[in-house]
Amino acid sequence: MRFLKGIAAAAGLLVASVLPSTAQTLTVWHDLGDNGLKWFDAMSAEFAKQHPGVTVKSLSFPTDQWFGRVISAVNTDSAPDLIFNNYERVIRIQDQTGKVSDLKPVLGKVSDKAFLTEDDLKVATYKDRQIIIPIQRVQMGFGVRKSWLDKVGEKFPETWEDAKRVAVKFREGDPDGNGKADTFGFALEAAKPRDLIHILDLFSFGTGLRHTLIDPEGKITIDEPRHAAVLEEFLKTYTSYKFVAPDTINHSFTEMYQVIEGGRGGMFRVGDWNVKKWDGEKVLNGDFLVGQWPKFAPDEKNAVVIGGMRGVAIPENAPNKALAQEFAQFMLTRAAQQTSLDNVGAAVRGDLDVAALSPRSQYFAKAEAPLIAYDFPESVHAFYPELEAAFHKKLLSGIANPPADWKPFIAETAKEMRELAAKLKSK
Amino acid sequence: MTTTLETVWHNRIFYLFVLPFAALTILFGVWPIVLSIAVSFTASATALRPNPTYIGFANYAAIFADPGFLASLARTFIYTAAAVVANVGFAFGMAVLIDSPLLRRGGLLLRLALFLPVVTPDIAGYVVWRWLYDRSFGAINALLDLVGLPAFAGLTTGLTATISLLIAELWHHAGFYMLIFHANLAIRDRALEEAAHVDGATTWQRWRYVILPQLKPAFIINTVYALIQFLKTFTVVVVMTKGGPNEATNFVTHYAYQLFDQGRYGEATAMASVLFAIVIGISLSIYRMGDKEAGR
Repeated sequence: MRFLKGIAAAAGLLVASVLPSTAQTLTVWHDLGDNGLKWFDAMSAEFAKQHPGVTVKSLSFPTDQWFGRVISAVNTDSAPDLIFNNYERVIRIQDQTGKVSDLKPVLGKVSDKAFLTEDDLKVATYKDRQIIIPIQRVQMGFGVRKSWLDKVGEKFPETWEDAKRVAVKFREGDPDGNGKADTFGFALEAAKPRDLIHILDLFSFGTGLRHTLIDPEGKITIDEPRHAAVLEEFLKTYTSYKFVAPDTINHSFTEMYQVIEGGRGGMFRVGDWNVKKWDGEKVLNGDFLVGQWPKFAPDEKNAVVIGGMRGVAIPENAPNKALAQEFAQFMLTRAAQQTSLDNVGAAVRGDLDVAALSPRSQYFAKAEAPLIAYDFPESVHAFYPELEAAFHKKLLSGIANPPADWKPFIAETAKEMRELAAKLKSK
Repeated sequence: MTTTLETVWHNRIFYLFVLPFAALTILFGVWPIVLSIAVSFTASATALRPNPTYIGFANYAAIFADPGFLASLARTFIYTAAAVVANVGFAFGMAVLIDSPLLRRGGLLLRLALFLPVVTPDIAGYVVWRWLYDRSFGAINALLDLVGLPAFAGLTTGLTATISLLIAELWHHAGFYMLIFHANLAIRDRALEEAAHVDGATTWQRWRYVILPQLKPAFIINTVYALIQFLKTFTVVVVMTKGGPNEATNFVTHYAYQLFDQGRYGEATAMASVLFAIVIGISLSIYRMGDKEAGR
């Protein structure tokens, strides 16, 4: 009998080892840090309710590393099942690898998607391929330290003139009450390509302009009167107005966050993904207000800026492609979107429960403020990254050696950009 | 052929011991360089694929047509020249000071103070230097303010940012060069100096004609090592300036790194290969010059 039991046990083990296992793991690479890890864990638990035995593991990389790793993995057939990031980064992955799946048929099978706008889908499309399924709108508002405003007796700035007045008071009025002149009006950044343009985008779109550098027809816009006025004030913010820390010319995201979180800059960009951290007791402890970007002229309509779209993409050589497509579809369900809002502070659906969120997170989640979207020139003009890099260099040279009068500088920059755009277009 | 094999067989124990290290050097030292050079001949989009597309010298043509690269190359040469002179000169001065009988007591302390930065993790050191230079809360400007001197622009202008990096790197590397000079000074033949002294040579003449020629090996080693070190300047730039302000500290290694970040692997490795060729060329030339003078 013992012998027969032994035989049966051995046979059982053999069968178990030969039969295919139902357990399956999907891997996602993103750059959302701890909040992103928690979000994917929560989604994995929800997804497993419909797909028992399936686990979703996510890995978060610093953005620079994410880009390099994804390219090398996709190019060497060791790609993850899904990649998650901003649309423009996925465009770069597609440009470098040509192996990002067209997700049109995948999205086509989703019935509950009326909340996706035409703009959302436009952003998600590159060269006739839908390279991401839009999952989170990236909203960026204007933030101000509340206690500082109270200290200097000001209200949330609505216009650029208000913001300038507040900036002077933040610099000179010791808003943090430490008795030292160590605070600045704004916390901005300028060091890396895109840093400066990113902030200029926010100032431009936030006041209702539709383009920062070039319109869809390829016309350079920076010397048009309204654009030129914003650009001039923007450049003065870094230079003659002395509204930012002197080292800002070398500041990128990390240093900008240090200035904000270290309590040295009073006005700053607030992304929907920043709020959860800054509400934390050891960070800003919720001591900030979020609103629309200041308007530069009374007849302009200021807004919160939709600066991009984060979405999920699937490499052509994903190891579990069919299951990855199912998960990508699942990310648009109410359950998955709720986990996105709760953990990362952003989503694309409008029917989510926002009661548990802080007032600042609710400001973004309810999307009640006027919203204005970027024009996403990289989706229209293939040469845009090169043009933008040249524009960045030119602006940086102006900030490093400020001219006495910015008007000729802006006119000269516009001329150079026109020449470069024509040259790049003809390539 | 037979003779070579016989020699190898005759020294087989030696080769047996050397083999693991030679294999490691080839695997982790030579092979990545070969691979990097190979990537520089491929189209970036296909560089990491199993069958990349080879495009000949197109990446090299592209980088030499790029004014940004040429400017960064020129910047790298100027910075390297200044850094080599500053580091080797400072290290030599410190080694002489430590070797001096006048500094018998504080010698150990000074040696320790100079060498400690060499073993300090570079990133940690440069982060502290960045704070020191910060114009709004840095200790350097606080000190200048205290004694009534004008503020130092630190990392915010091209020239001062370059000088700031140079000082930070001097702090980090000079101790190593000083140690080599000091070792060379310690083993020099002092009898020659005594003989020169007896023959009526002045202090300057003893230094010029007796001591300095004996320090030539240390000068050559330090110069070559410093050249290699500073042509490859990278960490200090990433931590302190990110190539700014306005590209003033965007040296070749950092420029190539920026291209890597954009997925332009072919051009980035072409830049790295050009720099590698320059480093090898300069190093070999200096060694050759040293050998020629020594009559070898």
